[in-house]
Amino acid sequence: MTTTTPSHPVPAAAAGHPGTAATARGLTRVHGRGDAAVHALRGVDLDLPAGRFTAVMGPSGSGKSTLMHCLAGLDTPTSGIVEVAGRALAGMDDTALTLFRREHVGFVFQAFNLLPMLSAGQNIVLPLELAGRRLTGSVKERHDLVVDVLGLRDRLGHRPAELSGGQQQRVAIARALVTEPAIVFADEPTGNLDSAASAEVLGFLRRSVRELGQTVVMVTHELDAAAYADDVVVLADGAVRRHLVDPTADELVAALRGEQVR
Amino acid sequence: MRTVLLASLRTHTRRYVAAAVAVVIGVAFVVVTGMLSASARSGMTASVGVPYAGADVVVTGLDGPDARDLVRDAAGRGDRAAVIGSTAERARVGGRLLPDNVTVGAVADDERLQWQEVREGRLPAAPSEVAVDVNAAKTDRVGLGDTVRLGAGDRTVEAEVVGLVDTPSAAPGTDFLLTFADLETFVDGLWVTSVVYAGPGADSVQDRTDGDVVAAADHVQAVQADVTRGVDVLAAMLLVFAAIALFVSVLVIANTFTILFAQRARDFALLRCVGATREQVLRSVRLEALALAVVASVTGVVAGTALGALVIAVVRRSVDDDVLGSAMPSARWYVAALATGLVVTLVAAWLPTRRATAADPLSALRPHDVDVRTTAGRVRVALGVVALAGGCALLALAMASHEVVPMLAGGIVSFSGLLLLGPVLVPAAVRLAGALASRLAGTPGRIATGNAVRNPRRTAATTASLLVGVTLTTAVLIGLASSRHTVEEEMDQQYPVDLTMTSDTPLPDDLLGDVRATSGVVDAVALPGTTARIVGQGPVTLLAAPRGTTGVLRGDAGVASPGPGEVWLPDGLLTEWPANGRVTLEVEGRTRTLSLNTGEGWGPAAVVAPATLAALTDASTPRAVWARADDGADAEDLAGDLDALAVPAGAELVSSLGERGWVDTQLDVLTATVVGLLGIAVVIALIGIGNTLGLSVLERGRENALLRALGLTRRQLRATLAVEGLLLSLVATVVGVVVGAAYAWVALRTMVDVLTDDAAMVLPWWQLALVVVVAGLAGLASSVLPTRRAVRTAPAAGLGMD
Ligand SMILES: Nc1ncnc2c1ncn2[C@@H]1O[C@H](COP(=O)(O)OP(=O)(O)O)[C@@H](O)[C@H]1O
Ligand SMILES: [Mg+2]
Repeated sequence: MTTTTPSHPVPAAAAGHPGTAATARGLTRVHGRGDAAVHALRGVDLDLPAGRFTAVMGPSGSGKSTLMHCLAGLDTPTSGIVEVAGRALAGMDDTALTLFRREHVGFVFQAFNLLPMLSAGQNIVLPLELAGRRLTGSVKERHDLVVDVLGLRDRLGHRPAELSGGQQQRVAIARALVTEPAIVFADEPTGNLDSAASAEVLGFLRRSVRELGQTVVMVTHELDAAAYADDVVVLADGAVRRHLVDPTADELVAALRGEQVR
Repeated sequence: MRTVLLASLRTHTRRYVAAAVAVVIGVAFVVVTGMLSASARSGMTASVGVPYAGADVVVTGLDGPDARDLVRDAAGRGDRAAVIGSTAERARVGGRLLPDNVTVGAVADDERLQWQEVREGRLPAAPSEVAVDVNAAKTDRVGLGDTVRLGAGDRTVEAEVVGLVDTPSAAPGTDFLLTFADLETFVDGLWVTSVVYAGPGADSVQDRTDGDVVAAADHVQAVQADVTRGVDVLAAMLLVFAAIALFVSVLVIANTFTILFAQRARDFALLRCVGATREQVLRSVRLEALALAVVASVTGVVAGTALGALVIAVVRRSVDDDVLGSAMPSARWYVAALATGLVVTLVAAWLPTRRATAADPLSALRPHDVDVRTTAGRVRVALGVVALAGGCALLALAMASHEVVPMLAGGIVSFSGLLLLGPVLVPAAVRLAGALASRLAGTPGRIATGNAVRNPRRTAATTASLLVGVTLTTAVLIGLASSRHTVEEEMDQQYPVDLTMTSDTPLPDDLLGDVRATSGVVDAVALPGTTARIVGQGPVTLLAAPRGTTGVLRGDAGVASPGPGEVWLPDGLLTEWPANGRVTLEVEGRTRTLSLNTGEGWGPAAVVAPATLAALTDASTPRAVWARADDGADAEDLAGDLDALAVPAGAELVSSLGERGWVDTQLDVLTATVVGLLGIAVVIALIGIGNTLGLSVLERGRENALLRALGLTRRQLRATLAVEGLLLSLVATVVGVVVGAAYAWVALRTMVDVLTDDAAMVLPWWQLALVVVVAGLAGLASSVLPTRRAVRTAPAAGLGMD
């Protein structure tokens, strides 16, 4: 861990606020060293409100994936602090981070979300199994609810190879939701899908926020996708340019266009 | 995690088949060894005591005359005694000379000491009666009622066959059994194993003999212990080969795991992303390895037991012998075999599993293909160089000091160094060979070379297993060929002439022509001679070896080709070696005192230089014909044909072809056995190569589909894989042959140089060429299955593959 003291002091109210799912302060991430060093993140300050659907947008290479990985404890920041679900990730070792992810974080990736040798149903319960939790009581209720909301009831026995791309992403979403995580990260979940399947997947993500009360952060570079979100964070050059709350389509386009002009 | 484990096992079982087969073979090898040794031990120890059943005490350390005296002494006291021993004599059945010497012994005079099983007829009870061992009767075509003449010269016994007997294999049996009275004819040359003694006088035997007297039961125990030791040594030697096979298995399994885990790296990373701890993933893959280990080991034990039972049944049925008893190995053998299989698999899986689970979770998120390129680590290369240099230093030390321990250590260390450097050396060699392949096979050759070297560590690991087998095979082949050369030189000393006809009367003039005309005879010479007397001894046929003899003599050791003032006498002709090393020969009053050499292999005659003979007599006549046989001549036919010429001429035929053939056969059997046993390791290695190719094909599904889409024909795809298999196996084989030859040379300098001054290294070119060809073909064969899978996939399906 090479976390240094953040250059921006963390406002106590913001960091520990119950309405905040994740917080970043002075987050930097440098890949490589010397001349070859790439500054993927250059001091990101961000508060992601709980119970909302936030889209992270920005041009390719602007650091969207890196930000998400750092927030999710998959990647270790060069400096700065990250708090998720009220816990600082700095100082956690690999196992602690893993257990933390298992408990509090859900993921949906662009591709390769599912273990090919497991059925859809087995993939969904995988995080529960890894945590040694049994599919009974409230866990079972949650599982059934998620499976029904995502319309996967009659697909549980299928192998990933037997599912369409959209269905595979729905299974991935179900898996991300089944543990009732504090926050779900989705990195371009519709990047590999056609527009119909995209709409379906985005609809389900929004429903999980509306109906299940989840917090979802989704990286995307599609304007259409961002339209499903409540808030939009615009990233450029490894820093947050705008954090729009409930933007209208025009505001969003303006923000993005403004980025490009600047 | 259990769901993941079970699903992984279900999905990947087929990919583990090769690794499992490697373990099964190794474990089965150990089990078969255990069964054979237990069975041999019980069979042989059971029969070894049979001859001593009726004895009170057993006397050892006696020579023939001592033994005879003791037997006579016992008879005089009313005790019972019998000699267990044998002498090698020439035998004639009817008029037919048997090609090889036969062993002759005696039955006990007293029934209570007789132990041979009579199959037909009865045991000899009076002089001029003989019994024949059933196996000898079969090979020598002897039957009841035949007349057998044993011995030569004035020590012969003629007897009628009155019975066929069987002797337990581990007991000291002989081909022919006389009464002891008849055996006394050969008592001077009798090799006495022991004298069994029973009766009231048994207590006082020690006072009447110089031999060692022990109670019969103690003697049997000692002999059984000897047999057990012998079997244990054999078992230990077999286990060395099992260890080699298992070591190769470790390489194959480790490589399989490494490849499989590389292909599953994304699975592991995804598991880590969704919350599996490193320990959970590690435990899961290790359990997977354990499952493989258990299944393969148990299968190995079952297969080994079945195979062992089959081998024992076949041996017992076909060899008509009781070498193999019915005893099963102790439970410890099975436990050890099982444990070996488990340990081998788990050890092989240890590093690959650790490396696989070290994967960082982020790698699951990278959308591109699994990166399976590897390079040789710098540490590994440094370690390899150090090991290679250190090993070579040890080998040099071994050659200088003629010590085996540094030789073995140096061999192992330097070979480890070589294996460590494999990722650097092997791809370079493959590239070199690939340049040729590209010239011959065009595009497929170029693609194959690229594929074969793109993952140096995998390439090295794949070839390493074959390298081990081929290196050892080559070293053994060269070692055996070289020792065969040394043995042959020794044989040339021992049997300088293939066939001799010697007579104490003049031979007819046309005999030489007849011998030369006999098929199978390359050359023959007639030797002039006379009958001489060795002063103080007795008459002997004296021969002069003229210049032309050299074409008939084997080797250049100078045996039986005396210089002036020298004489060669057959071993055992003189009862005492003269104090001054000289003997005096006399022919009708003329004498010559000559310096004495003794040896054997030219018949019952003294040999001098022509000048010496001329000085002794003016009237020499042909007394012997020496013949050299064609290398491929049938020993028995040739001896029969020449005997038919010798008998009417009044000459005595001696043939050494049988003995030569026997030694040759022994070496052939040894070579075949060792190569066969090493072959098991080679087979495992080849399975490994096929496995690597197969797994690589799976990995390159998309790539191959792209190539097909771009216009590579099915045939060319097939050729690509065939060339890749060929490249891998040939490079391993050629490197193995070179390295094996180097090790053989070191071993020769270390171990044989002490024994003989000029132990030449003999390269068995044909055998080595065969090794290369067989390995090449096997490499081709190993690509057959992977190829079928690769060409079956339609380009479109391949492109969609994940
Ligand atoms: N492992 C890595 N090593 C070096 N550079 C990296 C690595 N991962 C990302 N980068 C660089 O960091 C920058 C941000 O990458 P990323 O977060 O993936 O961008 P985005 O997801 O917005 O397209 C890019 O310039 C990328 O090349
Ligand atoms: Mg990205």
